[in-house]
Amino acid sequence: MKRGMIALLALSMAALVAGGCANKEVVKTEEPIAKPAPAQVEAPKQEAPTVEVAAKAEPEAPKPVEPVKAADGQGAKASEAQLAFEAIYFDFDKSDLRQDARDVLSKNAALLLKANNSTKIKIEGHCDERGSAEYNLALGERRAKSALQYLITLGVSADRLSTISYGKEKPAVEGHDEAAWAKNRRGEFVLVK
Amino acid sequence: MKVFLLLLTIFLLLPAALPAQTGPVLVDAPGNRQLKLAVDAPRSMDAAPNTAAAKEIGDVIAFDMNMSGMVAAETREQLPLPSALALAETDFILRLSGGYDLLVRSEYSIKGDDLTVEFRLYDLLNRKLMTAKRYLGKARDLRRYAHSFADEILLALTGEKGCFTTRIAFVSTRTGNKEIFVMDWDGHNPVQLTSNGSINLNPDFSPDGREIIFTSYKRGNPDLFKRALSHTAEIPISHRKGLNITGAWSPNGSRIALAMSKDGDAEIYAISKEGEKPVRLTVTPTIEVSPAWSPDGSRIAFVSDRLGKPQVFVMNADGGNVRRLTTAGGYNVSPRWSPKGDRIAYARMQNGGFHVYTINADGSDNAQLTSVGSNENPAWSPDGRFIAFSSKRDGGEAIYVMRADGSGQTRVGQIRGSGTQPAWSMR
Repeated sequence: MKRGMIALLALSMAALVAGGCANKEVVKTEEPIAKPAPAQVEAPKQEAPTVEVAAKAEPEAPKPVEPVKAADGQGAKASEAQLAFEAIYFDFDKSDLRQDARDVLSKNAALLLKANNSTKIKIEGHCDERGSAEYNLALGERRAKSALQYLITLGVSADRLSTISYGKEKPAVEGHDEAAWAKNRRGEFVLVK
Repeated sequence: MKVFLLLLTIFLLLPAALPAQTGPVLVDAPGNRQLKLAVDAPRSMDAAPNTAAAKEIGDVIAFDMNMSGMVAAETREQLPLPSALALAETDFILRLSGGYDLLVRSEYSIKGDDLTVEFRLYDLLNRKLMTAKRYLGKARDLRRYAHSFADEILLALTGEKGCFTTRIAFVSTRTGNKEIFVMDWDGHNPVQLTSNGSINLNPDFSPDGREIIFTSYKRGNPDLFKRALSHTAEIPISHRKGLNITGAWSPNGSRIALAMSKDGDAEIYAISKEGEKPVRLTVTPTIEVSPAWSPDGSRIAFVSDRLGKPQVFVMNADGGNVRRLTTAGGYNVSPRWSPKGDRIAYARMQNGGFHVYTINADGSDNAQLTSVGSNENPAWSPDGRFIAFSSKRDGGEAIYVMRADGSGQTRVGQIRGSGTQPAWSMR
């Protein structure tokens, strides 16, 4: 019951955002946005993304992630470098979205809706080290797709979203305890161009 | 008339042939004692003996034969006999008195790159030559020839050749990335196949042993690639949207079963070996991965979490007649069908790790094979005698081999970095 209420609340908040009413409160609570480097405004093209998730771009792919040009229309549009998407986390062998994940997805959706329409993100699904590598590839994909579906529900256009699963191949942290596992069962949001 | 003559010949030869080794000759020691095999140090035919090479020949044969479980093999010093190969009646007594039942004698010559090696297997009790082989080749093939004669020993003892000249492909982190390597079955001669710096997973050999398929992220998506062992070109054969993972070559080499998620979640499909004509075999809203063909190609075992947790199921190769195989344990994955078709190996999650099990293809006679450390990704040897798997028992993760009944668990992967996801080549 309580869970349902909160979910409803999150959805209605998201509906507000989707309705075009940019929710400044949500954006303001985003920590990374409060400290954009001034240099970014001058040379946004050369600037490597300061976003943590973006920095984790796959090393072998030359440019899966790169900073995008500053939005033409400036105004209310957030610059790409300011798009600090938070990761979301999952329970063991689960791909359904916990309440904390829904909260984060709402913030990420708000960021996306505020950003230029050409801004696209790839949702990476990851798992902890415990399951089999093969099954985890499919589980990671299911996690990424749960996040994708929720973002679509929150009004983000499907053509701005894609998914990839890394299974347990790219842990965020090393370690063999629940603290590490909890950080590795995650969805990350990476800018693509 | 011709037929009559042939029959007559067979009839006349039959009594004489019976005591000799025609077909399977199961050699049993009296009282169920394990047969003892002496592997005498090979005798050099050169002026300057190559003691390292000689030791290697003996060690390879002893290792293979001990791993087979058929005999207890020991390397011995050379007997001071006039000939290494043509033994006189009295020569047998020396080894018989040492408690041995079988004896391997050999001679070798290494001149520059050229190697000649000749082997004899003797049945000491019956004072009889059981098999003999002579190999001419390059010095670098020394281990291969010794493995090949070990195959012949098994043939003479059991009627079925060994698989000691086969190789194991696996995923190694030696370079810091997950790349595909291949090594001899005993872990020697490791060779790095892929070097694309990306994530490479789940190798599987073609039935002719010349090619492997594997999944790689080298193009930014988990795509299925094919490459020849002798050539570096990596050809994408399935790069459909989403997952293209856990590829498994069909026994006749014409099809590849794999898990793809192009239509939603991961499902089992079969594609041609060129990657075309996908046929969807499972239709569920759940995860299906890790297909494994039965040796006759008529059925496929796979992992599905349609009942909540991953379990092993079996279906016909056209997707029909789906049955649950594993009913115990909450998390069963990585099925591999034995080459004889009777059993299916898989890995079960328990106590925070995995253990390798085998089960009859009809779901009966479930048996746990490993109990130390965490062990997964079983892969049968082509003769069904062994199962390779990855184990974390020594810290890190390395490739191990055991007999199909779980005995003789031995680490074979020796290179730096973790070794996982073994695949065993055909003979």
